[in-house]
Amino acid sequence: MGLASVRDVTERWNRDQVLALAPDASSQKAAQGVSSPGKWSGAGVTADALWGECRGSGSKPYLACVDLSEPAYRCSCPSRKFPCKHALGLLLLWSAGGVPDAAEPADWAAEWLDRRRDRAARTAVRASAPAGGDDAGDGEAVTGGEAGAGRAGGAAVAAGPGPADARRAAQRERRVAAGLAELERWLADRVRQGLATSRRHDQWDDLAKRLVDAQAPAVAGAVSRLGAVLTGDDWPARLLGEYALLHLLAVAHRRLTPAADPAGTAVGPADATVGSVDPSVGPAGTAVGPADAGGGLDAALLRTVRERVGFPVAKEEVLAGEPVRDRWDVLGRRDTEHDRITARRVWLRGRSTGRAALVLSFAPVGQALDASLVTGTTLDADLAFYPGSCPLRALVAARHDHAPGVSAGPPPGSTVDGALDEVARALAADPWTDSWPVVLDAVVPAGSGLRALTGPDGALALHPACGTPWRLIAASGGHPLTVAAEWTPEGLRPLTAWDEEGRVIVL
Amino acid sequence: MNAPPEWEELVSTALVGTDRRPLAGTAAPEAELLERAAVQTVRMRAGRRPLAAEPVAAAPPEDRPVVSRPAADRLARILGGEQPRLLPEWLRVAAGHGRRVPPHLLPELLDQAARDRSIRPHLGVLAGNRGRWLAGLNPAWGFLLNEPTAPVPTVPAGAGVVPGGSGGAPDVWELGAPGDRRAFLAALRAADPAAARSLLARGWAKETPDDRAAFLEILADRLSPDDEPFLEAALDDRRREVRQLAADLLTRLPGSRLAARMAERVTGWFAVEDGRIRVTPPTACDAATERDGIRARPPHGTGERSWWLQQAVARTPLGVWPRLLGRPPGELVRMRITDWGREVMAGWVRAAVLQGDPEWARELFAHDPLADLLAVLPAAERERVAAGFVRRHGLDGQLIMVLGGAAAPWGPELASAVLEKIIEVSGTQPWNLGELTRLAGERVDPALYGEAERLSPEPPVQEVAALLRFRYDMVKELS
Repeated sequence: MGLASVRDVTERWNRDQVLALAPDASSQKAAQGVSSPGKWSGAGVTADALWGECRGSGSKPYLACVDLSEPAYRCSCPSRKFPCKHALGLLLLWSAGGVPDAAEPADWAAEWLDRRRDRAARTAVRASAPAGGDDAGDGEAVTGGEAGAGRAGGAAVAAGPGPADARRAAQRERRVAAGLAELERWLADRVRQGLATSRRHDQWDDLAKRLVDAQAPAVAGAVSRLGAVLTGDDWPARLLGEYALLHLLAVAHRRLTPAADPAGTAVGPADATVGSVDPSVGPAGTAVGPADAGGGLDAALLRTVRERVGFPVAKEEVLAGEPVRDRWDVLGRRDTEHDRITARRVWLRGRSTGRAALVLSFAPVGQALDASLVTGTTLDADLAFYPGSCPLRALVAARHDHAPGVSAGPPPGSTVDGALDEVARALAADPWTDSWPVVLDAVVPAGSGLRALTGPDGALALHPACGTPWRLIAASGGHPLTVAAEWTPEGLRPLTAWDEEGRVIVL
Repeated sequence: MNAPPEWEELVSTALVGTDRRPLAGTAAPEAELLERAAVQTVRMRAGRRPLAAEPVAAAPPEDRPVVSRPAADRLARILGGEQPRLLPEWLRVAAGHGRRVPPHLLPELLDQAARDRSIRPHLGVLAGNRGRWLAGLNPAWGFLLNEPTAPVPTVPAGAGVVPGGSGGAPDVWELGAPGDRRAFLAALRAADPAAARSLLARGWAKETPDDRAAFLEILADRLSPDDEPFLEAALDDRRREVRQLAADLLTRLPGSRLAARMAERVTGWFAVEDGRIRVTPPTACDAATERDGIRARPPHGTGERSWWLQQAVARTPLGVWPRLLGRPPGELVRMRITDWGREVMAGWVRAAVLQGDPEWARELFAHDPLADLLAVLPAAERERVAAGFVRRHGLDGQLIMVLGGAAAPWGPELASAVLEKIIEVSGTQPWNLGELTRLAGERVDPALYGEAERLSPEPPVQEVAALLRFRYDMVKELS
């Protein structure tokens, strides 16, 4: 199949893909209200730009324009939603074939597009220099927000060097070490007293709060999510697994951090009260086994441990790394809400490198999330990966395509065995991996209750929270499909399927 | 997934606690346990093997074309909450073209139909084989298996069914799903009413009560005095719904025995005195009256005599009244009625609707504009009457109700009356226009969208125009 010819066609996004750009459900609804042809005048579309004038309640129409290559949005309306309902409505109209082709953008649209592209060019010249925050409002691909954006937000801002900063950094190291030492003792107490005493949420909330105070927001988040494991009958096993991985993280941090001598930095009095539990010694070596790849446990694993603990990574540092250029398939996304912050995970895979990537973004609930990655499209871009032993999280450092996001057909998939192998490799490098994007080739809904996907070489169960995936079952009709899914220890969460006509079906 | 025994051991130790079940031979049993558990957890996650799971049996191939991509996208928009009230129209038009819905939209559509019966009839066609395959997998969608699968069932030439003949009925009648059997009977009824009746009569005793009721409804089409004996017998059916339907149909046959019995019943209750109609309602409801479709037990809050009177009037052939009371319908509806006026008028309205009598409907509508009466009038007259009503009447709940009785598509006359009303009201109380603009957008012939767009820049008119445009494009995509 000639991919080049596919790329040359300006393929319109389907409606699901457009709606997936909306910041929330109410925006989806509002966009549909302004997506009728009667609302728009002077609308047009070229290979990479879409514009139109929307009649609103006022006397002047709103001017909305979408740069399809990113996509990026612009509208003269005062809405704080982003993209606003006009931009989305215009995209819906276009998606339904209601916008005529034009040779050139309207003057006002051309002006904005030129300004944008000038700025993008300047940004590119600055190469790995920090992406300016002033562009955020235009939906630049590089988005702010760190893993700990929730409570430790203030500390997450990358600090430049300076004596005060150095002091603050050292203080943070001490606090984290103390917090994790306390976590180790707390876990040991649970195991000594028995997990049966552990079925209470409030104790986790307490512990999570103390970990936030200790400036270890990521591990605090992991603790505060422990309640979720109590839902199943197998909760003791799952809880022990989670406790064990938290213990492993605390131990790994203690053992890998060069100058962190727990005896010196850990809070003294607590040690005394705990008595027999001495966190500094013990047969911890066996526990870090899976990651014990090469001699001295390397710096990469430490990076991973620090990220899982919640140390911030400066965006500049990420962008300074070696970028990976590929044609990246946007496999799907999942938004989760925690502490009034919505986290958006967008999963990507490179067509030629076969690499998996995760682009994370954050926004307060109800506010605009990064909408530049459209499920089912393929983008030619440089991705900059966060450093670690198993790099997955990445930033879109630069995009090379100035065609609208194309749908290049289903991404290349693997067998069920192949996907499990890849997950095993990821776990070997980062034992805390709890989510990994996979693309399964030629799978069919299977099993009792149809809560599994099977290929010729066997099946994978779906995540219990997914229920019966009727949309996927309907699209398949018992025939093999390509399905992108998020692997998790509890099972697969299907993201997207491609039906026999190559249609992108957001699940 | 099978956990190794060592893991099970760790879990049960952790559950009771190392205080009570020490881990042998270690100084720090808690840390040791957690570390072993970490190794096991990662090992189990990384070492997972593919499961054995039986793939679902493949759905049979489709024999109908799928709707165009733009049409499918529009359906997704409607299901997603954009113009949800247009769903029935989309389904009707698509089914009329014998198309099917793309599979990935079926779950949403079937879920909606599980909640809303009114959209089910077209789904047999639209859901295709994939839909029936899904209905087999999900009991919540089982209703689909009862819906007819062909847009216009074909009656094979000579399907024949000569009354009394030995000719076998076609397979679809003998073996088909309930929906297909109903569709077949309806088609046969349209082509050869007597053949349909005798086919039905032959297997009548073996049909389920639900089927009997559904089949009787089909006989409403091309109803003729020839059907009377069959319907009279159905008055003794075991299922009340069937008896009621048979009585309704017999009411529409002025020469039926039921009509004669009802006429006789009411004769003693009505008289004209001093230019008024004097009514003496019945004081009892005997078994014979009940058999003729009068329900003995009134609903809560209604008196027995009032209840019986209302029903009796509703089930009496309308032709009886001019004979009995010596005046044409136009005069009757305007006469004073002593004490029981409300019941008699309500009975006449119900009778006009049930018996589909345009003359009575016209007179009654002039007296009391009710949507049901409007629906009885022939299309051209209905439109004219409705337009006149709109011009005379202010915007209120009654206007909306009456217009609800005017079936789509509204032609230019009614459309312009309604749009003028919208312009008139938008100057004074635009906040009240919501329902009227929606109704206009849904009922006006979509081909008139251009006229509406040009008529006025008022936002409510433009809203109607946008909805018409939406429907115009929708219908075009589906053709």
